[in-house]
Amino acid sequence: MSRKSLDLTLSLLKAIDRAGSAEKILDASRPYLQGFGIDHIIASTIPAPGVSRSAQRNLVLFESVPPDWKKIYFARGYVYVDPIVRETLNRSTGFRWSDPDLGRYDGEASAQVMNQASDLGLRDGFTVPMTTLEQERGGISFVGERLEIAPVHRGMLTLVASYMFGQALMAQGSAGARVRALTPREREALQWAAEGKTDWEIGELMTISEHGVDYHLRAARAKLGAVSRAQAVAEALRRGFIV
Amino acid sequence: MIHVVTAANADAYADLMEQAYRLRHRLFVEVLGWQALARPDGREIDEFDDEHAVHLLAVQDEQLVGYSRLLPTTRPYVLSTHLPQLCEGPAPCADHIVEWSRIGVSETARTSGRRLNPVALDILTAIVEWCLPRGITHFVSEMPTSWLLRLLQLQVHAVPLGLPQVIDGEEVVAIEAGFDARSLARLQAKRGTTSTVLSDPIGQRRRLAS
Repeated sequence: MSRKSLDLTLSLLKAIDRAGSAEKILDASRPYLQGFGIDHIIASTIPAPGVSRSAQRNLVLFESVPPDWKKIYFARGYVYVDPIVRETLNRSTGFRWSDPDLGRYDGEASAQVMNQASDLGLRDGFTVPMTTLEQERGGISFVGERLEIAPVHRGMLTLVASYMFGQALMAQGSAGARVRALTPREREALQWAAEGKTDWEIGELMTISEHGVDYHLRAARAKLGAVSRAQAVAEALRRGFIV
Repeated sequence: MIHVVTAANADAYADLMEQAYRLRHRLFVEVLGWQALARPDGREIDEFDDEHAVHLLAVQDEQLVGYSRLLPTTRPYVLSTHLPQLCEGPAPCADHIVEWSRIGVSETARTSGRRLNPVALDILTAIVEWCLPRGITHFVSEMPTSWLLRLLQLQVHAVPLGLPQVIDGEEVVAIEAGFDARSLARLQAKRGTTSTVLSDPIGQRRRLAS
């Protein structure tokens, strides 16, 4: 029994290894996952607080969910109240949304996210948390109306999730910038920051307030995936957005 | 700088090896909570730390900041002896395969934020650099499933030897990975240099200085 399960999983891992794009990863995995009742998949890293909608979208590695759900999720900033995201940050191994030890959804907002998801067919899920080499947190959720996952299947899905995530990161890396271009104001603010100007000086140079400067630099950080101004400058230089 | 300690040069590394056993205890027992490895004297050393073990010591400013161990698979090793349930078939046994067990980096060496841990990268590079000229082309290892992604990101082509199992409350998987000159080139690209990560043995350096 476990020999067959392993062989099935290994042949999918091989196929994922050969997949050169998010599309191909999803195509290769679909038949295997459907056997568990999985209809939808989301793979993403989790944004820090205050990240813009577009930057949040940018963190999605691949997905196959109803377009309506995607729209609502980002428009309403659901990532910040989604109880599954909170659970993902608190765990290191796969969990079912129906696991009895999952905290009850605290607050109306959390319950609303789950109910709306459920209405769109995203009722029963299995989420595998991910931590990258660069210490970024993320996860893959496998979702359907009703999942058929025996305990032994958790290990199989965890393996598949890790390889899908890893392959997608590699495909993204080699595809070059998935980073969205900086706006002219973001680029200008960052260019001055690279030259050592303070927020006040940049505000004077760009004839905007310090608050405005901070806004542009924060947006630039989100797009570049940077946690600090110095890192944002380094990333922007590397990608040729500033000189 | 990574120092490789074997039976041949162990005398010159007595002090650093003591640091290694204590680092192992601190990291695996105290930090990671692997109680099965706990020892009253605070030195994590097991039956496989014999003359056939190869120890990799990451040293910065004469302090041990990282550690790893390689064992031959042609003799009893951790996976074959204690965790055979992680393998669907028999545990691998061949001259060209080693078991990579015990990887740990001291908190003092860690880098926070989004940067890739350079010590871990150095250790992996040292393993490939040391193994290839000796005809070793594969390693097997057991690890928490949550570590898999990081291994894959380092372009290690790991293949599970069995389905993950929960052992002492942790989900663990055994993998086998192959490497070659291309792997080394990729690691060097990540490190940003092609110069060797391996140091000379301490004994040799002292002779040259006198």
